[in-house]
Amino acid sequence: MSETAVVSGRTAWRDRLGTRAQAANPAVDLRRALQLGLAGCWLLDAILQYQAFMFGKAFGRMLGAMSVGNPGVIARPIGWNATLVAHHAVLLNTIFATLQLLIGLGIACRPAVRVALAASIAWALGVWWFGEGLGMVLTGSASPVNGAPGAVILYALLAVLLWPRDRSGAPAPFPAARAIGAPAARALWLVLWLSLAYFALLPGNRAPQALHDSIASMASGEPHWLAGLDRAAASLVANHGLSASIVLAVALAVIAAGVYLPRPAAMAALVLGIAVAVVIWVVGEALGAILAGGATDPNSGPLLILLALAYWPTTR
Amino acid sequence: MTPAWILDVFAAVMLAVAAVSAAQLVAAWPRRYGPVSTDTDIAHLLMAIAMAGMLVPSLTTLPDRAWEIVFGLLTAWFAGRVLRAGGGCAPHLVHSAAMLYMFLALPAPAADGMRTLRYPTLAFAFGLALAGYCVWDLDQLSGRRHAFGGVLSPGVTVSCRIAMGVTMALMLFRMI
Repeated sequence: MSETAVVSGRTAWRDRLGTRAQAANPAVDLRRALQLGLAGCWLLDAILQYQAFMFGKAFGRMLGAMSVGNPGVIARPIGWNATLVAHHAVLLNTIFATLQLLIGLGIACRPAVRVALAASIAWALGVWWFGEGLGMVLTGSASPVNGAPGAVILYALLAVLLWPRDRSGAPAPFPAARAIGAPAARALWLVLWLSLAYFALLPGNRAPQALHDSIASMASGEPHWLAGLDRAAASLVANHGLSASIVLAVALAVIAAGVYLPRPAAMAALVLGIAVAVVIWVVGEALGAILAGGATDPNSGPLLILLALAYWPTTR
Repeated sequence: MTPAWILDVFAAVMLAVAAVSAAQLVAAWPRRYGPVSTDTDIAHLLMAIAMAGMLVPSLTTLPDRAWEIVFGLLTAWFAGRVLRAGGGCAPHLVHSAAMLYMFLALPAPAADGMRTLRYPTLAFAFGLALAGYCVWDLDQLSGRRHAFGGVLSPGVTVSCRIAMGVTMALMLFRMI
């Protein structure tokens, strides 16, 4: 082969990888696209974990606060872990952040996707207990508006649903059914969204000012536009905690049942799920409070959106 | 505070990216790859040097004003490329624009050395875009290796872009 041909071939490669619009991409189906979305969330998690305040005592205190209200058997290991992190903040936080970085990059790298997804499940379960106090679901204070049942458990759920394996038999009706089958995937969806509906109706969340206070508290430290949005939304539900909680719970229950409905109704329910997730993320979670500094993850909103897309019907 | 040695590690990665980009430019010179890949390597070289200086002040090479001009020109160049050739150059445009934003939005250091970017919503948007391009690049790179095997040069270029994207996103979120 002449040098000209070699150079020409390599130039073509460089053009396709870096600069030309007509790149011939390896096939990316919806499940792979969702895996990449999950990888992006892990990458964002890792980058947030490298923030300056995570290397100080505040991180350990933040973890310790997750034990409050939890049963002793859950709370004691959280307290032990928080003390350990507070004493070795630099070392442990570096390990945590780097592990999350490797998980994110691993999911994005095709040969490593299985290992990275498996690691993400193990890591997410650990963080759900030691870092999020099981999403506070046992404390009576969990709310779908501020991240219940814990953002990190949604990472694990997505890793299971997006596992790169296909069951034999008829084509799966939606990407989440490809690895574990449609009945199991639908059951997981039902349990998740019904639990969110249940949390919305907890006494602490349906009190007249509960929703108002939860949303208004997110405005602190946010840019003007987001703080204004939070304050406006909070004033909208002021003194209407019960009715707002009922409306939210009904919407969440409809979303939960949606995946059992015929295709058009299922799609409508999924669109409603995405819309609710967007509202929760922007208004209830203030984009994970990332813009206020000190966020550890983007919270549950983006993951609920990815989850809804994983149930989008792909076969007629 | 983020331990200095962690910032040193990221700065070292950026210096490695700068060295690789410089080596690619030198290697490409007699073969006349043309402006299509040369501008990418030049952009990577400049971004990596600038980021190393932002991470470790002792590695600062040019004043902020000079970098604003450099990245303003690069942003305009890649914007032109995107308009002419489509979205293939979009990652370079986003990288250049993110660097320009960082230098424009960076105030003087506070007493404790911390610097907080103005217009943090833009930092958030750039951070998300950079993270998105990183996972996309890695997916495409690993897919190509599966299909074709050992094409070192494009792989190195994209690996440099991934390393820069992660580092740039990290810097943006650190300064929100």
